[in-house]
Amino acid sequence: MRIAAAAAWAGMRAEALQLRRSPLVVGLACVQAITFLVLVSLFGLTGSRAPTGLVDLDHSALAEHLVADISAAHHSFGLHRMDGRTADAELRRGNLAAVITIPAGFGAAVVRGDTVAIPVAVDNVDADLTDDVQRALPSAITAFGQELGLANIRLRPAELDLVDHDTDFIPYLVISALALDALVVSGVLAALAVAREFEGGTARVLALSPVHPLAPIAGRVVTTGAVSLVALLITWALVVVGYGVTPTHPAEMALGLAGCVVIFSCVGVAIGTLIRRTLPVTALVFGVALPLYIDSGSLEPERFDGNVIWALAHFSPVYYAVGVLEDAAHGLRVTPEPAWLDMLALLAWAALAIMVAWRVLRRGVTA
Amino acid sequence: MIRSIWSLARLDLMLWRRSPWAVLSALIPPLGMALLLAVLTLSVGKQPVALVVNANGPSAQQMAHVIEGDTEAYALTVTDARSAAQQLHDQQVAAVVVIPPGFDDAVAHHDATLDLTLNNVDVDFADDIRRTVARSVAEFDAPQLGIQGELGGPSKGFLMPNPYRVAVAENDLRITNVDFLRYQVLPALVLLVLSMGVMGTALLSARDVERGTARHLVLAPVPSWGLVSGRFAGGLLASFIVLAPALVLCTLTGVISPPPGHWPALLALFAATALCAAGIGATLGAWIRGARTVAMAASIVATYLFFLGGGFTTIAFLPVWLRAIASAIPVRYAIEGMRQCLFYPDLAGIPTDLAVLAVTAVLCVGLGARSVRRSWSV
Repeated sequence: MRIAAAAAWAGMRAEALQLRRSPLVVGLACVQAITFLVLVSLFGLTGSRAPTGLVDLDHSALAEHLVADISAAHHSFGLHRMDGRTADAELRRGNLAAVITIPAGFGAAVVRGDTVAIPVAVDNVDADLTDDVQRALPSAITAFGQELGLANIRLRPAELDLVDHDTDFIPYLVISALALDALVVSGVLAALAVAREFEGGTARVLALSPVHPLAPIAGRVVTTGAVSLVALLITWALVVVGYGVTPTHPAEMALGLAGCVVIFSCVGVAIGTLIRRTLPVTALVFGVALPLYIDSGSLEPERFDGNVIWALAHFSPVYYAVGVLEDAAHGLRVTPEPAWLDMLALLAWAALAIMVAWRVLRRGVTA
Repeated sequence: MIRSIWSLARLDLMLWRRSPWAVLSALIPPLGMALLLAVLTLSVGKQPVALVVNANGPSAQQMAHVIEGDTEAYALTVTDARSAAQQLHDQQVAAVVVIPPGFDDAVAHHDATLDLTLNNVDVDFADDIRRTVARSVAEFDAPQLGIQGELGGPSKGFLMPNPYRVAVAENDLRITNVDFLRYQVLPALVLLVLSMGVMGTALLSARDVERGTARHLVLAPVPSWGLVSGRFAGGLLASFIVLAPALVLCTLTGVISPPPGHWPALLALFAATALCAAGIGATLGAWIRGARTVAMAASIVATYLFFLGGGFTTIAFLPVWLRAIASAIPVRYAIEGMRQCLFYPDLAGIPTDLAVLAVTAVLCVGLGARSVRRSWSV
């Protein structure tokens, strides 16, 4: 046992030395972690405030009132005032999703009690965007009518929210991105460490050594796990400082991230053992990570996408990780299962991942 | 000279064929992206909502009819209050819309409410539901503000007065809407070209340096520009070999169907993108040592180029400073140009896009060639 521990310790030191000699690999792993934050932020920015040209030919107070309501319509429009010609050119070039024109005489007509048709040109190139524009305008118009207290409006919406605050899309996304970071960074570093053993032929030598052959490899994986944890903590710090997301439950957050590192390091061990080459590791982990990430409640609670996708999500540890991390960061419940059950599932995944990695590695080394 | 270039290009292609792992490395990210798009397609558009009708009068029936009729926006379950509350708790629905008791009386007194209980976990889908419910409310008093108004009404010159005194005359720029999958499949193809070009050329360049074959190449009786051209030709051909079946498949399934006469511009944009990617890959492969590190760096570079170029985003949505950065990303011009080719009736802006890509390709190839030459002679 002592010899095995010494071999594991030697493996840890050897991997630390290896990583010290490859600062670029470590640096790129950290860059990749931050890259995902940037990417989900970019995606989040496109989820709201469609760039919309506003051509105001009326300039009345009521026109301004309507513009304010359009601007406030559930984060739907990013209004840019411009003249009609520019707006048309920008729309045709794809730089605007829509152009709203408030016709001359709008204010006077509304005061008279007439109904005015607002011309709205829509670039319906993307059905998703077009839907947002089409649904948001009636919302702005109802607000306009209700604020003016116009007669004959018989109905209004009365909203009750389950959560006492709205969580913006990007702060929501960056937390789930931490799970993706853990997958990619831990998975890549662990898989590289193991695949290198096979590529360099040292795995065969280890099989002949008098100590348990997996001990030094386990030591190496502990080191890559520690480096991954540091990279994740840096990313977490960036989330706190850069995005202003302070976790509601920091201990749960730390435990969740540590669990992710263990699970995905073990997944990396299995990948490295199975493919035995360092070259495709990064691309493989990255390519697998994206669909896993999307099917994990990273954009919204997964069950909203239907029971089939939700059921499939249960086979991925990212699902439970996102459940734990969103609860820890924002106090949000994004899975039907309670957060403590997600945490238990995550720990079970960690235990399972260690067992599977151990078996795969043992078969790989002794084969 | 052409023969020498062709020989080197063929050699690179053969190396590709014998390196299935390298090919896999370049193919996996776009395949992952394609899978992501497929999953994402299922989750955009409709939101699961439960409808509870607790009133029986004609106004309540009219309201229920409005909501049930908006099949584009609601994935609706009509149920009772208890079951709806359970579904909301279990996240089977994101919101519950209730037509409350006494709805008809309240409508008669101009004081009716449509009650919405919303699981506002994040603002993105919560806003989708708020917008949709607001439209249903508007449609109750002003039918033209609903789906019927979109299809025909004020835009066709038929304006019905409504209590809000505002109507929408919508004019669509094109005849049909492009669904999410068709809109996003193009960037996935661009990622394929980028990944093959950047990763492929970078790995081949790094491999030459790592295995010492670069020294032999330098000693060959061929000018260095010929050797470098061969490398780029190889990278370009590899990209096309992978792209061609994907393009054919997309065309046959109707996912890609550009207007007549737009194919040449589309292919030119793909070619210019592939050349840019090969140049960037060659530079990376010459600067960074070690296939493993090159693979990681190439993956990160391709990812940034793709996302900042509008691969998964719409550049016009981004803040000004990000748009300024994006304007320096050549992939942006490729994606914008390709969307123009596919979804718009004319080719406005294509010459600019092609010019930017061509200049970038020349710069990238020049820089890549210099880096490769230097790495060979070290």
